[in-house]
Amino acid sequence: MIAENALPRRRIRAANRRGIRDGRFAWLYLSPALLIFAVFTIGPALFVLYISFFDWNLLNSSLSKFVGARNYRDLAHSSDFWHSIEMSAYFVGAVVAGSTVFGLGIALLLSSRGLVRRAVRLAVLTPYFTPLVATSIVWVWIFNPQFGLVDSLLRMVHIHQVGWLQSTTWAMPALIVYTLWHDLGFTVIIFLAGLSTVSNDLREAARVDGARYWHEVRDVVLPQLTQTIVFVIVITTIDSLQAFTQIYTMTQGGPLGATTTTGFLLYEESFVFYRTGFGAAIAVVLFLVIALFTLLQLRVTRSRSN
Amino acid sequence: MHRHRKIVVAVVAALVAGVAAYAAYGASASTHATINISFMEAMASGTQKPALDTLTKQFEAQNPNINVTLIAEPNYGVLLQKEQAAVAAGQPPTIAQAYENWAASFADAKAIIPIGGYVNNKKIGVKTADQQQIWKGVWQDLFLPDGKIWMWPFNKSDYVMYYNANKLAAAGQRVPKTWVQFATVAKALTKNGDWAWSTDTGTPAAPADGTIVMLSLIKAGGGTWIANGKPTLDTPAAVKALGFLADLKKSGALQLGTNYPGETALGAGRSAFDLSTIAGYPYELAADGGKFPMKVAALPQGRNGQGNAMAGTNIVIFTKTTNAQRAAAWEYMKFLSGAKQTAYWAEQTGYLPVTKAALPIMKGYIATHPYQQIAAQALQVARGNPPYAWWTEAEGDLTTAMQQVLDNGGDPAHALATAQQKALAAANG
Repeated sequence: MIAENALPRRRIRAANRRGIRDGRFAWLYLSPALLIFAVFTIGPALFVLYISFFDWNLLNSSLSKFVGARNYRDLAHSSDFWHSIEMSAYFVGAVVAGSTVFGLGIALLLSSRGLVRRAVRLAVLTPYFTPLVATSIVWVWIFNPQFGLVDSLLRMVHIHQVGWLQSTTWAMPALIVYTLWHDLGFTVIIFLAGLSTVSNDLREAARVDGARYWHEVRDVVLPQLTQTIVFVIVITTIDSLQAFTQIYTMTQGGPLGATTTTGFLLYEESFVFYRTGFGAAIAVVLFLVIALFTLLQLRVTRSRSN
Repeated sequence: MHRHRKIVVAVVAALVAGVAAYAAYGASASTHATINISFMEAMASGTQKPALDTLTKQFEAQNPNINVTLIAEPNYGVLLQKEQAAVAAGQPPTIAQAYENWAASFADAKAIIPIGGYVNNKKIGVKTADQQQIWKGVWQDLFLPDGKIWMWPFNKSDYVMYYNANKLAAAGQRVPKTWVQFATVAKALTKNGDWAWSTDTGTPAAPADGTIVMLSLIKAGGGTWIANGKPTLDTPAAVKALGFLADLKKSGALQLGTNYPGETALGAGRSAFDLSTIAGYPYELAADGGKFPMKVAALPQGRNGQGNAMAGTNIVIFTKTTNAQRAAAWEYMKFLSGAKQTAYWAEQTGYLPVTKAALPIMKGYIATHPYQQIAAQALQVARGNPPYAWWTEAEGDLTTAMQQVLDNGGDPAHALATAQQKALAAANG
């Protein structure tokens, strides 16, 4: 009896020892990456949190003064900050809605058979792989009121020229159009992946029952794509909250703050006007918002894999 | 015993003599030891890089114990970031190019040193007669509000008026000399889908030519940018200047754009003028492409004269440097601003000579490039950025006011009052 029990116990102990040893090796192998992550990501992030409590002197930190939560109080009372939140909501809302609707629409078109399918897929995906700075500058010229393509087309149909990037009304829509043009390829890929998991049997059954294409999409495809749609919404929201390059290149946050999102305000306060502590407070708030969406994304991804 | 003592004395004497000789050698060697200095600059494009390289080699040949390392950055934006990062990391270069407001923030952070002690030094300084040869505007630009000299001039430019001579001739118009004439000519040239002048106000984060021209207009109209260390953006002259631009915009003579719209529109033959810096001459010429004779004239005048705004940078010496490096850096800075060197620099790059003494040397060049003299003489009246760290923000507030009026039809007085409030808040910290 003793001998019968001793065997499994010994095996368990050996397995435990192996587990501990494997665990140690795992940490050893992970340590270079962890070190880099700690030094270049965690460390700076904690440092940003630290300086958000200071009137920070970028050039001579010994002249910095501890101000407690003053930067956060200033943030709460800053009209520029709340305006940037509005602009971020405008930008994020439009980009997320546009990416989801157009991305799904294009993916549905591409998932059906057709001769031009590959060409269209290439055309939609290519912008996503182009550098943001270079294509932003091209779009600045497309939107040029005197010499740009868009206004030239409008003039052909006798519509008065619009200063797209100079107008408080049109600058944000122009930025959104560019962002959708650039990023749509990514959401199309995700939706195509999602569509490949939709049951063909159910779609065929719906067709046999006489369902039209729209009914098939609404009642069969969309319910099976729910998690993909949520994933796209979350990931596009995070990306849009972090958008900076196209705003910097195309509008510099203008005109009159019409494209100053919270991400751009953070840059402006920290690196143009050198209110580094205040900028750090904006960074912390933005981090918390993005962290919230990241947690949501993780939950969605986990539920998808389950 | 006696003999042993003699040997010991001889050995000690030999040792002392040896140590003394070594010390003397060391002293002489240190006198001739190479002093390394570094110069962080943004003169990396076109003819600027070879011109600076040539001048630096000439300096090193004349001063074999000084080695200058040029640290070239692609543009002023990157240059500022690199300088700030270097200062924050405690490893600044010996010297660097700096605008007036950069110098002010560096001085606030105790990162640069005042250089009046070098400038006015009887042995190694610049003689009073030579100081007086430096253009008045350039000289005034070397001081911070504490009255000390913190900067030394390097690459300077100011604003001029580029124009399409054919367009003016075809419309029977003369080159405007005053802002009132400019408005009349501009409106006369606005017809058949063409207009007079395109500009970019920029944004609060990056004010552009339009904002600088507005500053020139304020000065020309008798207004000020600052007074008693505080911004003065809402003076009657400023309101009048913005009203002037709004009127041009309303008439269609002024069009706004981005990415150097003045250069593009003038080059395309759609507009007649561009108001920009003389350093942009090669780019204006390239945009023109030989399609029409592009001429250069002085910026129009107001009741207070030309009111030109100066562009370009000075050089500063950083605090974390040895005395030997500072002295070597001063020699290099003085060399670059010498009449012969600044003349060479101007002829090679299109920047302006910082001293009047360079003009006789440039006689041949000016005969073929008369615009250089027009722009150089304007350095007498041109003013640089006010040397305050908050000026960047105040200038951005002025840009916002311009956008409110020119793009959104706002009231100039109200827009400038708002800008003044914000600029004052920035100035008060």
